[in-house]
Amino acid sequence: MPGENPFQDPLRFERRIPPCAVVIFGANGDLTKRKLLPALYRLAYDRRLSPGFAIVGTSRTPLTDDQFRAKMKEAVTAFSEDTPLDEDVWRAFGEGLHYVAGDIGDAALFQRIGEKLAHLDETHQTGGNVLFYLSTQPSQYALAAQGIGAAGLQHGAGWRRLIVEKPFGHDLASARELSDRLHDVFAESDVYRIDHYLGKETVQNILAFRFGNGIFEPLWNRRYINHVEITAAESIGVEGRGAYYQEAGALADMIQNHLLQVMATIAMEPSASFQATSVRDERSKLLRSMKPMKPDEIRMHAVAGQYGPARIGDEDVPGFRQEPGVSPGSNTDTYAAVTLFVDNWRWAGVPFYVRTGKRLPKRVTEIAIHFNQAPLAIFDGEMADGTPNLLIVRIQPEEGISLKFLSKRPGAGMKLRPVSMDFNYGSSFGERSPSAYETLLLDALLGDATLYTRQDMVEASWAVVEPIQNAWHADGFEFPNYAAGTWGPAAADAMLARRGHAWRKP
Amino acid sequence: MPATPPEKILKELADLWVATSKQEGAEAAQGVLRACSMTLIVIAEDRDDPSAMGETIAALMPEHPARTIVVRLTGDGDRSIGQRVFAQCWTPFGQRRQICCEQIEITCSDASLADVPSVVLPLEVPDLPVILWCRSPRLLDMAEFRPLARMGWRVLVDSGAMPDARTALRHLADEGSRGTLLGDLAWTRLTRWRQILAQIFEDPRNTSSLAGPARITVSDAGVVTTRALYMAAWMAGALDSAGVGATVEVRTRAAQTFAEIACGAFRARLEREDGHLSATVNGLSQCTLLPKPDDYLLLREELGISGRDPVFEKTLASAARFAYATDE
Repeated sequence: MPGENPFQDPLRFERRIPPCAVVIFGANGDLTKRKLLPALYRLAYDRRLSPGFAIVGTSRTPLTDDQFRAKMKEAVTAFSEDTPLDEDVWRAFGEGLHYVAGDIGDAALFQRIGEKLAHLDETHQTGGNVLFYLSTQPSQYALAAQGIGAAGLQHGAGWRRLIVEKPFGHDLASARELSDRLHDVFAESDVYRIDHYLGKETVQNILAFRFGNGIFEPLWNRRYINHVEITAAESIGVEGRGAYYQEAGALADMIQNHLLQVMATIAMEPSASFQATSVRDERSKLLRSMKPMKPDEIRMHAVAGQYGPARIGDEDVPGFRQEPGVSPGSNTDTYAAVTLFVDNWRWAGVPFYVRTGKRLPKRVTEIAIHFNQAPLAIFDGEMADGTPNLLIVRIQPEEGISLKFLSKRPGAGMKLRPVSMDFNYGSSFGERSPSAYETLLLDALLGDATLYTRQDMVEASWAVVEPIQNAWHADGFEFPNYAAGTWGPAAADAMLARRGHAWRKP
Repeated sequence: MPATPPEKILKELADLWVATSKQEGAEAAQGVLRACSMTLIVIAEDRDDPSAMGETIAALMPEHPARTIVVRLTGDGDRSIGQRVFAQCWTPFGQRRQICCEQIEITCSDASLADVPSVVLPLEVPDLPVILWCRSPRLLDMAEFRPLARMGWRVLVDSGAMPDARTALRHLADEGSRGTLLGDLAWTRLTRWRQILAQIFEDPRNTSSLAGPARITVSDAGVVTTRALYMAAWMAGALDSAGVGATVEVRTRAAQTFAEIACGAFRARLEREDGHLSATVNGLSQCTLLPKPDDYLLLREELGISGRDPVFEKTLASAARFAYATDE
């Protein structure tokens, strides 16, 4: 009998996770409590987990299994946004939670994890399948992988995979160094670099929108598209993460990973199939087609910003340099805007404006595709010169797609005005969308790497971002250069104005 | 010319939207959002509890926003058709704007059934899937069923509500062979059972146990039911696709409801026990909740499918063959 399950009905049965164990390094940390455990619990709630599913949490804090379960129950209760805590579901899920305390630098920790995994294989019949999740400080990634390797935990009766959180290095050399250290233990095909933006439903919907419909793709090129804006704005400041953020900055924290991945999804060539390798090959090709900037181009095409204090409504908001944990003379960018070009036949000459920032007027992530104007203006009036068509893909909040076009105003005469045709994700699909972590964890546990970042993609992104980062470090800035609650520094507006463009105010 | 011109209904719908927008617009500047991803046509008997059906449709709307056309069959009476239109609205959690769906209710006698397609067809939302949910078991035997079925891209019935399982399966298989895309809620009720059985065979050790000829036993409490025939046919089909031949026994009027596969020393059995479904593999049991699926849950699953359902189509054809073979 062949290995495939003859009783499967993919149209009706949900994808289910096979028996396995997930080992979480940094199990006492914020990410585990806020994202990972709620996502795994939701998978249990949706009956996606098999009875043989187990979690082994590990961190330095000494805890018993029961104490760990109690902490995680508290976390799931507090941070599951739309999933009630069902005692029956929790009982079964909680029994699969185990804990091993120890230091990542201590080889004995990995021996104990190995013993625990062997025990779980017997009691839960996990089939030797193990997913290691590095939810630690980035400086410990290589150390953890080394410990796994030294204890021989990367091999077993079943599959062994490793999930790594961003940042994947802080420049090209360190990204390569990290990959090398991970590859000492795991094959690249078993390394899952998580970028939670790619797990968002609307980012995945870009692929459906572009490649599931026939009408847009013929327009998706330099002949019809004038320029593209990608915006990821946050209204909040660094929220207690000042010390971390000071080291990273907006360019490295957002553009190098999330926004370049979004851009790759919007601009990539159609893949031959929806297989992980095909989709990732196309994303990678796009990223490698982006031309790294020379120093004089950086001054024209990249703008850094840092927010200063301001009064928003009836609240006084501190500037970045006044945030706890931030040096008073910090030169970290809390805003970054870059103009990028893709050197291929489809996109040659089309500017992609990418911006991100903290303390901007609102929280919004969107892609705005500006089409060329109609070649001839035949109507009189205020819209005589033609307002270009605009396609907006809203990633958050109120996910959806809008198309702006001109329409005749009712009444005599031919007066035009822009109107918007909206598709709202929430109203057309009232069902709950899974969180990005649910989607990505499910994929990793099923061995589907389509939405994960590959080493060559990370390196291509750094190749674009690193020259900008280096130039900014060398130049220094006169910060702050924008007030909290505004749309960023004036230089970012000037960057677009040079081409006759202006940022949307989403 | 039909008694109720569709233009009149469409005009009423347009007026309804204007009125709803004005009313909501006054209360909240956000206004209403019109949502529609399909046309859902429901054909039901007039005695069918309208409030229960209304609740089911209202519960479905957030996940499957639709223009719903409910056709109520009044039985005997003049050749006349009546109608009313209204909107179902809800406010998603955390949002201010209301989302509304249209609902049209048409009442007709048996004598005017033949006129229904001419009223309903112009009311279907263009280019979106049209699902016809036939809640009236007697309609399947009527000559008017076929023209009504042709209104939908997909037709949902409940063979469990039909008096004779064998006749029902023959009708459905015949309809399916004419190209009608069908769904059967009796089949939908088996999803949980089938899912649990499939989970047993996610373990490669269990799949590799199916090495020789197998024996399938399906036992049901009632007389021959379509669900028992479906289950047996599906299990036999799955084993056949894996190259395993099986003998099939369908027991009726049994004390227990179960489905079992035996193959050499290997035995997997699903059994219903007081709201639970127990799965036993080689003597080791696991129990899971088996809530009775209501119309909302069944429809929710079926409305998620707007095209072909290959597993069901294959199972229906082979269940109908079982029905012929076991005919007394």
